[in-house]
Amino acid sequence: MTKTLRMALLGATSFALLAACGDKTETTTQTKEEKGPAFASTYTPQPSETTLITNAHIIDGTGRDIESGSILLTDGKITAIGVDVNLEAAVTIDAGGKYVTPGIIDIHSHLGNYPTPSVSAHGDGNEVTSPVTSEVYAEHGVWPQDPGFDEALQGGVTTLHILPGSANLFGGRGVTLRNIPARTVQEMKFPEAPYTLKMACGENPKRVYGNKGGPGSRMGNVAGYRKNWIKAQAYKKKRDNAGDDFQRDLQLETLADVLDGKILVQMHCYRADEMVQILDLAKEFDYKVTTFHHAVEAYKIGDYLKENDTCAAMWADWYGFKMESYDGILENVPFVHAAGACAMIHSDDEQGIQRLNQEVAKTWAHGNRAGLNISKAEAWKWLSTNPAKALGILDETGTLEVGKRADIVMWSADPFTTYARPEKVFLDGALLFDKESGLKPKSDFRLGFGG
Amino acid sequence: MTVFKALTAALLFSSAVNIANAQDFFISNAKLVTNTSQNPMENADIIIRGGKIAQMGVGLSAPQTAEIIEANGNWVTPGLFAPFSRLGLMDIGGEDVTNDTGSEGSHTSVSELASDSFNPKAVFVANTRRLGVTHAVISPSAVGDSIFGGTGAVINLSGDYDSVETPRAFVFVQLGESGTRRAGGSRAAALQQLRSALKDALAFPGRYSGPEDGDALSRQDASAFVGAARGQMPLMISANRAMDMLNIIALKDDFKNLDIIILGAVEAWQIADELAAADIKVMIDPHQNLPSSFESVGARLDNVIILDEAGVDYAITNASALGIQRPATLAQHAGNAVGNGLEWNKAFAAITSTPAKWFGQNGTISNGDDASLVVWDGDPLNVTSAPIHMLINGERQSLESRQTALRDRYNPTSEDKRLHKYR
Repeated sequence: MTKTLRMALLGATSFALLAACGDKTETTTQTKEEKGPAFASTYTPQPSETTLITNAHIIDGTGRDIESGSILLTDGKITAIGVDVNLEAAVTIDAGGKYVTPGIIDIHSHLGNYPTPSVSAHGDGNEVTSPVTSEVYAEHGVWPQDPGFDEALQGGVTTLHILPGSANLFGGRGVTLRNIPARTVQEMKFPEAPYTLKMACGENPKRVYGNKGGPGSRMGNVAGYRKNWIKAQAYKKKRDNAGDDFQRDLQLETLADVLDGKILVQMHCYRADEMVQILDLAKEFDYKVTTFHHAVEAYKIGDYLKENDTCAAMWADWYGFKMESYDGILENVPFVHAAGACAMIHSDDEQGIQRLNQEVAKTWAHGNRAGLNISKAEAWKWLSTNPAKALGILDETGTLEVGKRADIVMWSADPFTTYARPEKVFLDGALLFDKESGLKPKSDFRLGFGG
Repeated sequence: MTVFKALTAALLFSSAVNIANAQDFFISNAKLVTNTSQNPMENADIIIRGGKIAQMGVGLSAPQTAEIIEANGNWVTPGLFAPFSRLGLMDIGGEDVTNDTGSEGSHTSVSELASDSFNPKAVFVANTRRLGVTHAVISPSAVGDSIFGGTGAVINLSGDYDSVETPRAFVFVQLGESGTRRAGGSRAAALQQLRSALKDALAFPGRYSGPEDGDALSRQDASAFVGAARGQMPLMISANRAMDMLNIIALKDDFKNLDIIILGAVEAWQIADELAAADIKVMIDPHQNLPSSFESVGARLDNVIILDEAGVDYAITNASALGIQRPATLAQHAGNAVGNGLEWNKAFAAITSTPAKWFGQNGTISNGDDASLVVWDGDPLNVTSAPIHMLINGERQSLESRQTALRDRYNPTSEDKRLHKYR
């Protein structure tokens, strides 16, 4: 089935697809408002050569596992994938049976807005001045020189989502970044990727604001969401009917964009019962919760998540640091997956983001030990496919399919082991990390300390 | 007092009886890692008698009375020894009333014993045990205006009430950025507090016989510091900057008997030869490769490799907040050291026999050792592996915990269709 089909289509379909992609970009540019979006992406793929990787064990992110396959990267896109056939390319890499996978996508990172060194001057991830700060944008607090970006790249992370922290009910807008070594955040912004809205449940908002005018309880949290969604509904109505002289309100604009379906809700929520209350909140105001983050108790409500088409982003084994995280189990991700819901791994950590494949390997093994029978190829979806879906970029990346961005990792060994490390990382077909030649980025911060 | 003594005697007596009556075990067909030989012994059988390793070899026969554990070719290794943790000192980090790791407002420092706060029934103990850790160092944390955390202990993870094995195992002190904050704001103040405290302890009790007491420590704390000051137990010092560690080496020149373990040691690779020459031990996290503070700007992934080449005595730990709370992922950290080039044997020793020996334990499987071992379903340093059997001091351990209870209640493969609370 997976034989030479894709390869055979190389000449026709894939180039057609490429052309289609090009057209699409042009049309969208033309139909933009005159001034274009604020803080627009200036991301430009690095120059790349046509590269053929052969003799690779390919896990493609769609659930497919090709034991000896090839993949062709042309002009930054995947133009062919399948079992070995003879193809000419400027660069040919014999993978020697090594694993090749999609680049990893971390849907929950604070690289750049809680960078290292973690001095107080670097705490730019939480606007802890009011429980409602939907007007702030995570990208305005991202320092592109965070050395964590460079290490994450060497861990195989090609796309990552930077969120505001969880102090507030409405924390602000999250931004999706290409993990390209850059001077500005605009150079990293994933072109056309939708914005997200960070919201937070539970202990954090009520703890932070309990003595600062509230919310001071979970009741107050929910009342706070509802009051602001009511305001957003009124704002949206006004905006829908307004002409050119409409005065924008940044705070309500973000919420109204959620109600318009343009912004995806990423919600920090640990407890099962609380997540289901949030699903009801979304029904009341007719919006969608795209993903629950840190969903430590998601395994208790896999059925609800499936029914609502809401994803859960989880850790393999973080739990117990606060009451709402006390019920963490090691099988959370596979149990949610087994319930038919959209499950994924996330890091929330500058160390964890470097080894997300190991986190998946851990939880995958625990799940199978508990009686499930999930293949590695299926479990890989937790690393790239489902995060891409939850960020609204699955048509561009997250799997190795013809026409998609060539975001690719070649591994030293089976990525479902502790010992595997990325050997080559391609972003849009350009080699940005290469263990063999020593090619790797180095932040300005790391210069000149000696040693 | 008499009643107390009688009770103590009864307890000692009963535990001695238990050991004499301990179940014997025969572990068959193991891929046996002993930490005493270079390569694992294949097809090994192990006889455990009276709680101790009695015999190992190929083709042994099971003693009549022994319970047989079939390893079926699987790995058998010494149990993991967590070199630094706060296991059993808290239920939930974020809830102060459940958190005994440090005492902000107390008037004591060195004399505070982690073993007094230890709760063997804290759920993290069993949750960590089921992942292969049989023993752990537990340490109090410095949170007030003293650089001293207190006196740490060695415990086993049986969850039994008598699982503290060494109540006074080491003294923990914080230098570097955290100690600096405790001492009042500078490295100079922190180091001086430590020097003064050492002098107080070495001059105890004489210095305390007059109306003046010590320069840095109260009478009770000076008394508690005597053992570490004399080198009779380790002095564990947290530090990351190379210059801070050189100052610790200089301290050892002045106080020659100190048995120093440096915790953190992120920049140790810069002074690896000096550490080896000074016979100072280090405890490092091979994941730490980011300049997370200005005292660790030299962080790099091959710190452990460079220390190994220089002949430094090192243990591997998980230094993240959660890793300290419950060192369940210790093996992953050692495994990553292997992934980055360290020999498997050395990495495994760094989470078993190396730290065990520092604290007076074995961490090996040799004849006469207390039988604390694990049968694994795969390579113990691989994240996909987990224990299938465990013994601590010759007693079989449960691999169930609160986490497995939750797992079983919500397992999607469960046939049980009752409401969850009845499962």
